[in-house]
Amino acid sequence: MNDVLETTSLERVALETTRLSKRYGKTWALQDCTLALPAGRVAALVGPNGAGKTTLLHLCAGLLEPTAGSVQVFGRSPREQTTETLPRLSFVAQDHPLYKDFTAADLLTMGRKLNARWDDALARTRLQSLGIPLKRPAGNLSGGQQAQMALVLGLAKRPDLLLLDEPLASLDPLARRDFLRTLLDAVAESGLTTLLSSHIIGDLERVCDYLIILSASHVQLAGDILEITRTHWRLIGPRQEVEAVAKGQMIIEASHTARQTTLLVRTNTPIQEPGAAAPWAVEEASLEDIVLAYLGQQAREQATERERLEVAQ
Amino acid sequence: MIWLTWRQHRIEALVVLGALAVGGVFLLITGLNMAHTLQESGLGACLASHPTDYPSACGSLGTLFLQQYGPFIPFAFALLLMPILLGAMVGAPLVAREYEQRTNLLVWMQSITRTRWLTVKLALVLGATALLGAALMVMLMRWYTPFDQFIGKFNEVAFDFSGPVLIASSVMALALGIAAGALTRRTVAAIFLTLALLVGIRILVEFNLRPNYQPQIVVTWPLTDNLNQGNPPITLGREDWQVGSGFLDPQGNRTNGIRCDLPGSNDPFQCAKAEGYRGNYLAYQPADRFWTFQWIETGIYLAISALAIALTFWLVRRRLT
Repeated sequence: MNDVLETTSLERVALETTRLSKRYGKTWALQDCTLALPAGRVAALVGPNGAGKTTLLHLCAGLLEPTAGSVQVFGRSPREQTTETLPRLSFVAQDHPLYKDFTAADLLTMGRKLNARWDDALARTRLQSLGIPLKRPAGNLSGGQQAQMALVLGLAKRPDLLLLDEPLASLDPLARRDFLRTLLDAVAESGLTTLLSSHIIGDLERVCDYLIILSASHVQLAGDILEITRTHWRLIGPRQEVEAVAKGQMIIEASHTARQTTLLVRTNTPIQEPGAAAPWAVEEASLEDIVLAYLGQQAREQATERERLEVAQ
Repeated sequence: MIWLTWRQHRIEALVVLGALAVGGVFLLITGLNMAHTLQESGLGACLASHPTDYPSACGSLGTLFLQQYGPFIPFAFALLLMPILLGAMVGAPLVAREYEQRTNLLVWMQSITRTRWLTVKLALVLGATALLGAALMVMLMRWYTPFDQFIGKFNEVAFDFSGPVLIASSVMALALGIAAGALTRRTVAAIFLTLALLVGIRILVEFNLRPNYQPQIVVTWPLTDNLNQGNPPITLGREDWQVGSGFLDPQGNRTNGIRCDLPGSNDPFQCAKAEGYRGNYLAYQPADRFWTFQWIETGIYLAISALAIALTFWLVRRRLT
């Protein structure tokens, strides 16, 4: 399934992919990925390891050539119109690689020499407020500082679209909070569009307003986070067959204990009480519940598919 | 990009300059000594008055000179290892280390394209290497002048640095290193691959290609009774390059020695005649081909460099990790 929630207004699109696919040898790293990220959003790209998050980001950054489909950054192909798109794009790769023997000052010089839109004052102010010494080689900075350094390099380029690949993965909670603060400050100041991948959902809720769920190389869900949380509900009631309760609502996940059934449903209409006879508790689903439900759904579909194939054999 | 290339390679550049300076001092001191001895011993004057007759003229003086200064030759030639080391130590990691440390993901996302990044980098590094090759060529040719006056430069050792071949082989060493790095994307593997390629090309060129850029001139004459090759009908000049000498076997093939299976024969001459050996031979490349050979070999090295560079561009544009 490939569900994309309609964006409500005619927002400008920063990033658009159409049936974007990438294959390595015989395995598809990404398949039929279609999404449109409105400008000015901070979007979270979540999914389990190996879901294709990094591939999607590399394709968006123009680092990889798609096998099929297309990707456009502000209406241009990052792969073919490199000279136009590169200055508007920043990409911080996983584990934020830096030239370890370069000092922070060297890295800033590199940024200044290689980027016409470079904002040196911004970079220096940020480094100062972060307490990163200019003279120290990047390899001697702490992991958190290196991540911050990489982010500052990305921001000082003054991009319109910032892509971050697992920026939080290797950071401790404190460094994570500081990193997100730097990011949020920059977003507030410049209104840039951000797409960051992560498998840590908790942190994202505070900074992101857009969600893309990627699983098994497919987009499972994409849309405004408020919209998503408004349309997903958790229903808890006595154990019964889920079909009887559904009544046209889309059940994303159903789990049963001996006595009760928990459903995660999606509906665009006001939530219906499943049955008057047996009172059901209805509550708003948390973002984490929703993400896990979609990822679980994918896992179940794959399991069913496997079973089907095994039976067929 | 120029700044970045310099920043990434400044230590290597300084090491190379340092090595060049140390080598230069060594060549200068030994060179001055040689010039002094050449004049003092009378060898210089002797060679000046008999420009083509060595070793029949000035032979004993020359032998003395070689005894005194010959041992320095390997030290001077050690400088020829510099381009090879440069290929392995600077060329191989140039792209490989970027992949290995994933800094390609950083530098390729600056506002310049990957192609431009590689173009500027290669132009600067290969240009610097060509300059190094030229510097080595001038220094070694200058140093070799005394030897050149009696043993010439058209031979296995002096050919390598007596002309544009040295510049081309330096560029090739680096280009192959870079291509090996782009291919393996692992520094250590790239270093070994570079060295293997360079040694392989070296052996191929030295033993198979260079003696045959143009057909060798072969002189033959009959066997003589003491089988010491007797009197060849020509005398090679100091600038002629002798590429082989020996016997022609019954099939007319060149051979170094005589294999004699006749039972009961003790006289090798009789035996050789009985076996059907046809005579002696001497194969050489004449002096006037020196520059043709230099340009042919320069062309070969530059062609390999061009292929390596093209391969590097192709790989870097396609591969991300």
